[in-house]
Amino acid sequence: MTPEPVIEAQAIRRVFESRKGFLFTERSRTEALRGVDLRVDPGEIFGLLGPNGAGKTTLTKILSTLLLPTSGQARVLGIDVARHPQAVRPRIGLVLGGERGLYNRISARENLRYFADLFGLLPSDRDRRIQEVLDRVGLTEAADRRVEEYSRGMKQKLHLARGILHRPELLFLDEPTIGLDPKSARETRKLIRSLVSDGVTIFLTTHYMFEAEELCQRLAILSKGRIVARDTVAGLRRLVGGDTTVEVEAYGFEDSEIERLRQLPGVGRILSEEFGPRLRLTLRSNSSELNAGSVRAALGAAHPDLTVRERRTVLEDVYLDLVEEEAS
Amino acid sequence: MNAPATPLTVSRFRSTAASVRLSVLQFVADPQWLIPSMIAPVIFGIVAYQLVLGSGPYFLVYAILGAGMMSMWGQTLYGSGWATGQDRVFGTLEPTLQAPTPYIYVVLGRILWNVVSGLVGGAIVYGVVVAESGQLPAVVNPLLFVVLFLFVMVTLASVGVILSAVYVYTRFAGFIQNIGEFAFYVGTGCMFPVIFLPWWTNPVSLVFPPTWALDALRYGSIPGYQGFAWGFGWDLVGAVATMTAYLVLAGLIFHRVERHVLEVGTLGDY
Repeated sequence: MTPEPVIEAQAIRRVFESRKGFLFTERSRTEALRGVDLRVDPGEIFGLLGPNGAGKTTLTKILSTLLLPTSGQARVLGIDVARHPQAVRPRIGLVLGGERGLYNRISARENLRYFADLFGLLPSDRDRRIQEVLDRVGLTEAADRRVEEYSRGMKQKLHLARGILHRPELLFLDEPTIGLDPKSARETRKLIRSLVSDGVTIFLTTHYMFEAEELCQRLAILSKGRIVARDTVAGLRRLVGGDTTVEVEAYGFEDSEIERLRQLPGVGRILSEEFGPRLRLTLRSNSSELNAGSVRAALGAAHPDLTVRERRTVLEDVYLDLVEEEAS
Repeated sequence: MNAPATPLTVSRFRSTAASVRLSVLQFVADPQWLIPSMIAPVIFGIVAYQLVLGSGPYFLVYAILGAGMMSMWGQTLYGSGWATGQDRVFGTLEPTLQAPTPYIYVVLGRILWNVVSGLVGGAIVYGVVVAESGQLPAVVNPLLFVVLFLFVMVTLASVGVILSAVYVYTRFAGFIQNIGEFAFYVGTGCMFPVIFLPWWTNPVSLVFPPTWALDALRYGSIPGYQGFAWGFGWDLVGAVATMTAYLVLAGLIFHRVERHVLEVGTLGDY
């Protein structure tokens, strides 16, 4: 039996309207989301990838009750977020991150205490829970220092601590490792995995492909307000042509040469990119017969300057292919 | 994984208490608050005393009322709206509204604190005027005076709740408040009785609960005071009625405003 989805969004659209000027106002209209469908199952880490302005934060805010959709329906933990936001809020956590969003003049512990009370934690449980989350994010020693003395990374940890304070069933993380040093980012990823072990479902947006690849069971790629692909990492690789990527670079190629490359096993679309005077062709295939040797053999000896690089297709390739395809 | 369940009303009451606590912590942490809460009342007290010096047997009461209201006005009304404006600037409005507690309970906590700090301001004014004159003011009924003083604070706070809603509604609330501040201060009779203003301004003044409460306060503390013709009792009735209307309106507005900002998506703007 299919489990009840934790998030189910159907045809979500969101239009922002703004006005500029005082006497002579100029109106502008931006369609941030253009019919997004989404399903997130319990206990998974679901990743949402997309370039800046794709609509990731807008979607996160809609699902976490901070924004209403212009049309469409979103259910979180079985509840309609637009109609019953108050019922959703105690059961979800939201980490928007960044320098803002915290009371800087008071300590981290006091920040957490304030939000613990707003989330209705019982006094008997509150202080113990605050200590627990401080330990968990590694802020115990700095817990009683003013937040204004914190580094960017420490603030990010405090955002995370606040997000999990009330033991949410679903946690929204909007670029949780942005601005963190590698060690802190790794610790954050470890923490995210440990939350999943505790039964928390994670909805993660990120710009870091390796992070998404490392953490997420399933991913969706959002571009210009539309989901252009959604699958597992392996499924997305198949979508753009396969596990193997071969990059060929030279001072230009004849059409006939490109055609010969297209005939190689499993090769579909060939992407080309100019680097100064040189041209790079990117071939992807699911076939193990595509390799540096077969590419060299197909091109013959016409290019003394030829460079061929064979590697595994990574999520970044998939992302760039899909986003560029959507843009074009 | 759910948080332990808390009865809703208790949880909301605790949110208000948490909001008071946060206000106190921020007050203590930020030395700039000393200016409106401690230093300004001293200046207001000195100036008001000089202004009314020798203007009749109850000039000390006039000085205390004028300067006290000026001090409380800033603390109670202005401070309540401004705290919400600060939430916008800090970026804490989003996480606060994302919490299950309706925002009005957070605002109520802030207002409670502002009422207390406004009272401290009023007490400082009293102390300054007494020290400057070297005598105690001739208050007819000191207990009534204190009760009415507190009542004025509460009516000011009811306007503060509405202002807070405006701050949630738009980031330009500070601009609106600054424009209206002086008109409101004079129009409600904070510095001198509204009866001294042109008659056609009175209907506008009477829309605001502090106008009624301030007139009642003057009736209750200055013998022979000539305020509104309907006198002390109806002043009290008017103050309670308008204040109740404001609080009911605030409850409705907050619900609508919270919905509106989710519609337009301006919570993060500052």
